Amino acid sequence: MARLEVEHVAAGYVEGIDILGDITLRVEPGSITGVIGPNGAGKSTLLKTIFGFLRPHRGRITLDGREINALAPYEIKRLGISYVPQGANIFPQLTVEENLQLGAWVIKQDRARVAGRLESAYTAFPRLREKRRRRATTLSGGEAKMLSLAKELVTEPTLLLVDEPSAGLAPRIVEQVYAQLLSVREQGVTILLVDQNINKAVQVSNYLYMIERGEVRREGPRRDFVDQLHAIVRDALLGA
Amino acid sequence: MPPLARRIAWSLLAFAALSWLPLAVSEYHTHVFIISLYYVILAASWNLLAGYAGQFSLAHHTFAGIGAYTSALLSLYAGVPILVGIGAGVVVAAIVGYGLGTLCLRMRAIYLALATWAFAESVRLLVAVEYPITRGDQGLKTALFFGTAQPTPYYYLFLGLTLVSLLVIWQIVHSRVGAYLQAIRDDEEAATVMGLDTFKWKRAAFVISAVFAAVAGGFQGHYIGLLSPTPMKFNEMAMIIIMVIAGGFRTFSGPALGAVFIELLSEELRAWGEIRMVLFAVLVIVVARAYPAGLLGLCVAAGKRLARLAPGLTPLLTARRPED
Repeated sequence: MARLEVEHVAAGYVEGIDILGDITLRVEPGSITGVIGPNGAGKSTLLKTIFGFLRPHRGRITLDGREINALAPYEIKRLGISYVPQGANIFPQLTVEENLQLGAWVIKQDRARVAGRLESAYTAFPRLREKRRRRATTLSGGEAKMLSLAKELVTEPTLLLVDEPSAGLAPRIVEQVYAQLLSVREQGVTILLVDQNINKAVQVSNYLYMIERGEVRREGPRRDFVDQLHAIVRDALLGA
Repeated sequence: MPPLARRIAWSLLAFAALSWLPLAVSEYHTHVFIISLYYVILAASWNLLAGYAGQFSLAHHTFAGIGAYTSALLSLYAGVPILVGIGAGVVVAAIVGYGLGTLCLRMRAIYLALATWAFAESVRLLVAVEYPITRGDQGLKTALFFGTAQPTPYYYLFLGLTLVSLLVIWQIVHSRVGAYLQAIRDDEEAATVMGLDTFKWKRAAFVISAVFAAVAGGFQGHYIGLLSPTPMKFNEMAMIIIMVIAGGFRTFSGPALGAVFIELLSEELRAWGEIRMVLFAVLVIVVARAYPAGLLGLCVAAGKRLARLAPGLTPLLTARRPED
């Protein structure tokens, strides 16, 4: 059984206008599933719908076979799904450590366990350890992205929804972010990655979907996409 | 001196000074201090809701009124003891706060303010119009808490209430819940992503602040001895906002400082009548535009300057953290 299944989902921000027309996709356990497509294809809307910010107008979303359509974001979070939005989801006036604690305490109130999670977050992101006492507003764009990823990881999610992790980052930082995603997958976390950076997404994903104007245009394992990468990138850029 | 000992020493000193106050000043001034303390509770609890949780309600004074009227009406018609009446007032305010919060807290900023304002006016009109029950503008006589109008015992009562309220608010602000509320204020979407049921926590803050207002209102009603719909007018809410902004919005001790300062100033300028409100409005605009840290910020800055001029005083003056 797939971890997450999205079946014929239509969704949008107002009643009667569907941004997602009819999306069907499956996320297999322990994999990275990539969703690529041009601007305005509905990639972010898809993640917001899965995380409960938006209710699907039609269709069904299930986690391990259980329907989660009607759940609020905080309920979905408790099921082990974490969402790393495109913009940083961190609190600039708090320190790095306070941000991580805040993330952790919402889910767990066991102090020893929280300390352990913080420690492993610092091991994974050494830059954050160096800056743990600094306010988050002093972080660079890449560090802020690391923090927002780390902040979700301390809650021990089993499924991670990641929206455009490389948007606005320097190329060297982009490499680090994707390396982190791969190591998160090694720890057994399933990832649904939405990305405009088609090259990187194809490189790290096990299975991919390409969506356009709210519908799946193409899907398949990585090798199918690797073979036709040039054509796909061209199509995406031209919006054909 | 270690910081804790220094803190305790300062607290004891302040407590002694506050206890001694009614012995040193006239009855009239004791009365003014009681009203100041009443406003300290209102200002600090409104700041918890509007400052820390970011929910700008304009019905805070109404919850004080609900507490006061519930208690007065129960003791008048059902003959319940005063403390039971005040307790009932708190419960009613909490229930009404829960209901109003449920209706309004999905609204953002200005809509929340408008909706709570409409609620406040409705309650005031209801109290004014239902004069067969509430005596409307003629006023409703209430039983005096200590059976006397002599202010001294009420001063100690309000001093105790204020200290307990501030302590509880301090605990809330510096707990996990306080962190949640500030997270919701700073970025509601990020707080949702974090897994917070933001609506639930906003409503909790709304109910908690309503409870504080009802406690203050209930006791104040049984001190003044006469209730009327007048303090349920918007002016009263404006006073609370003025106190919080003048003292230091989103700081812990700012609202308390502002409440005492504005109430004393307001009494000193009583001869000016309603012109005071214009003066206060100007003060609020100036503080909000030019010096958002308010009176508290001014005191902290003055303390630092003093410490530089007289280095010997430094250990005494740096007992407080800047965020206080």
